[in-house]
Amino acid sequence: MSRAIVIGAGLGGLASAIRLARQGLDTTLISQGLGGLQLSQGTIDILGYDPEPVTDPLAAAGRLAPPHPYAVIGSAPVAAGVDWLSQLLGPELLVGQTSANTWLPTAVGALRPTALVQPSMVAGAVQAEAAWAIVGLSRLKDFSAALVAGNLNRTELPGGGRLRCRPLVIDLMARAGEADSSGLVFARALDRPEVQDRLIAALGPELAEGESVGLPAVLGLEDLTVYDRLAQALGRPVFEIPLPPPSVPGLRLNQALLALAKAAGVRFVNGAAVVGFEAAADRVTAVMTAAAGHPRSYPGEVFVYAPGGFESGALAMDSYYQVKETVFDLPLHGLDDVEQLITGDYAAPQAIFAVGLGVDAAMRPVDLSGNVVYENLHAVGSILAGAIPWHEKSGEGIALGSAWAATQAIQEELK
Amino acid sequence: MRRMTADVVVIGGGSTGSGIVRDCAMRGFSAILVERGDLAHGTSARYHGLLHSGGRYVVSDPESAHECAEENDIIQRIHADAVEATGGFFISLQGDDLDYADRWVEGAITAHLPFQEISVAELFRREPRINRRAVRVMEVKDASVDGWQMTWGAVRSAQQYGAQILTYTQVTGFEVDQGQLKAVQCLDRKTGEDLVIDTPFAINASGPWAGQISALAGCQPVEVVPGRGVMVAMAHRLVNSACNRLIKPGDGDLVVPAHTVCIIGTTDVKVDDPDDLAMPRNEVQQMLDAGEVLVPGFRQSRAMRAWAGARPLVKDSRVASSDTRHMSRGMSILDHQSRDGISGVLTISGGKLTTYRLMAKNIVDVMCEQLNDPRPCRTDSEAVPGSESGRTYSVTHRLAEREADRLRDPIICECELMSRQMFIDLLADIAEPSLDDLRRQLRLGMGPCQGGFCSLRAAGLTCQIGHFSPDRATAALRLFLKNRWIGLWPVLYGDQLRQAALDNWIMAGTLNVERLPQSEEEVL
Repeated sequence: MSRAIVIGAGLGGLASAIRLARQGLDTTLISQGLGGLQLSQGTIDILGYDPEPVTDPLAAAGRLAPPHPYAVIGSAPVAAGVDWLSQLLGPELLVGQTSANTWLPTAVGALRPTALVQPSMVAGAVQAEAAWAIVGLSRLKDFSAALVAGNLNRTELPGGGRLRCRPLVIDLMARAGEADSSGLVFARALDRPEVQDRLIAALGPELAEGESVGLPAVLGLEDLTVYDRLAQALGRPVFEIPLPPPSVPGLRLNQALLALAKAAGVRFVNGAAVVGFEAAADRVTAVMTAAAGHPRSYPGEVFVYAPGGFESGALAMDSYYQVKETVFDLPLHGLDDVEQLITGDYAAPQAIFAVGLGVDAAMRPVDLSGNVVYENLHAVGSILAGAIPWHEKSGEGIALGSAWAATQAIQEELK
Repeated sequence: MRRMTADVVVIGGGSTGSGIVRDCAMRGFSAILVERGDLAHGTSARYHGLLHSGGRYVVSDPESAHECAEENDIIQRIHADAVEATGGFFISLQGDDLDYADRWVEGAITAHLPFQEISVAELFRREPRINRRAVRVMEVKDASVDGWQMTWGAVRSAQQYGAQILTYTQVTGFEVDQGQLKAVQCLDRKTGEDLVIDTPFAINASGPWAGQISALAGCQPVEVVPGRGVMVAMAHRLVNSACNRLIKPGDGDLVVPAHTVCIIGTTDVKVDDPDDLAMPRNEVQQMLDAGEVLVPGFRQSRAMRAWAGARPLVKDSRVASSDTRHMSRGMSILDHQSRDGISGVLTISGGKLTTYRLMAKNIVDVMCEQLNDPRPCRTDSEAVPGSESGRTYSVTHRLAEREADRLRDPIICECELMSRQMFIDLLADIAEPSLDDLRRQLRLGMGPCQGGFCSLRAAGLTCQIGHFSPDRATAALRLFLKNRWIGLWPVLYGDQLRQAALDNWIMAGTLNVERLPQSEEEVL
């Protein structure tokens, strides 16, 4: 039996499990799938818009009012959580600071603010009059160099001025005979020096004086220095632009955190959906997973619930428009105006996606009057009510801030 | 201003107008079809996809049933590539009026409708998800027909016979001199250019918009009562044949398999404006309840999308106007010569998609009579381009095609197995298309993810091959996502809500599409 049970293998769950294990708690992490990092852009967002573009994300996060989760978490735990991760992973995976956003290009040619980035993305921080060759790979369908370069060219930069982008397309075979390779297949291929050499040879003659090179984020999955090797060989800065899932930068973070969690002694139960729980009085005593033959029980002393929101199925709406938290049936916040949860206005943020759990300062779910539901159950990440993280670019900040706050509270509790 | 000349102008590019232009062209008339939007973007594709066997009408209207049965055979032959010969069932459930089943059998015999009664066990063998309370089952020749594919087939045939098809061309007026039509005035909505078509004859086949068009010609008001029908597409084929309840026709008594999905239909509510079709929650709920009756567990299945179409019913003073189901479902032809003193203009309305060819024949016969130029109809004798082999559609055909070309042709839309080459070929064929224009022919973005992955790729491709500017590609992407939302949000629960969250993580989270600079170009 583990003392701590963590549910969910996204950033919030992994961070919580590592922290609890390093506090000396025997920890088990249960997850139904691979976790959300592979769906992410692979950078650490804190706050990009409030709704205006944000320059100092930590300061802006500190100004948000309830019901935004940052108003409960507080900016100190957010800073502590992000700094902790940054030190944990080191500069070979994450660089940047919590007090300044960097604007990076996206795979549709928009600009996007984020706080900490992977070193392979640093040279993509926008700068007026920078000359960029945006390089597409003809066998990779998720990145159109012409669209990315064209949209970047018609964008006024946040500090004024414009970029000068030029699209290029290179034919690089990632897997023999295949015209349609995923980003992940390209990344695995580019872990190999032979494929890197082919890319360098194809790209070199096409580049103009003074151009940096922007490529889709497929520059190696295991080897974190591929971008640097290309930069050396091409004699110019090279940067990656994140793609839709499966996200190679997200998987890099995922792999590093998994290795750290295993090294810290976290026990993993994968492919197991948590389907129920047991409680005695005001404490959760065990969670149940769906397993072959019969449900399996995982007893514990403290529980960290970091399952994601609607995207993972942790929150669900049925055909009668009833919304539920699917494991513990916890009270949901943000359901005040049920008729307006989903509207026909595509451009407007949909209130349904801000529905979730309300928590106290220890990240324990509370009912609508603010009473803690279970003394030893803590909620982390995008299941928290009050924010639409994809819209305001706050997903990782909320995950890390709430994971920090929850694990600090647990440490106090178990002293 | 541009001028053109034709023997006849057909107004409206739904199934009826397309059938008329084909019929005119095959009879040797020079014909031009004008359509305000894209072909079949109105009622002809916003329906449940059923090619009627006639079974639905055997009790209420045996003549209509007989017509359906005959036309069903013809459509399966001439539009084979648009029809999936699914077969269908009429099913009595415990508690249903069993007298109705007896009357149905009598009616089917009277209407010469091919059918056979089969055992309930046989029904469950073929449709294992149907309600176990089934007590009587009639097997009929219902089929599933793709309204876009059928309309495009008719239009391509018309083009082979010299007809011209002008989409995104709106009728703005009629020139009438001393009671005789002289010209039809139009606006090319893509270029903004005026167009005048000199013609002695026009056929108004604009369906629920027929009243608006005839008013432009100065006719007495033609009262069309648009009957709104809401349909819900489920993300799987819960049934593989058209499954009807064997009861007096009502709302939501029918589930039709169509491509990889199945569709439940439909409601019937009188509305004022065919351009403003809401999908109220109570009607969506009504469809889900009805689905649950035919297929228990329907509500736990994944709803994918909803849409509403407007039935083009001409008002008939014999019935209360709020009850559109009991108005004549047959066609109406209005002769504006005898009615309004304007010769050379006919309006056709009503009818069913299944009988579109017959309706076209009937009205072109009227035109020939008025022109005193009898020419026989040949539309039933020749398959449209793409259907020459006579092989009906099979849901797995794209799987076979992609198996063959997957190593050389990337798949842009995985849900619908649309390849890069299919997209590029059609892109070259249409002037300034929207992604929705391409979708209607290619099924781009019509699967469960509703464009979450493929819309970016499609927009990127338009730009990569130099067909669209980045500005236009971005406008097209935005419009596509906005239009997908129209049909998504009324059924956004369960797994489709989960999908929407994932799509948002991609579109807003990773890509920040919502913060792209506005486009200067507008995409229609």
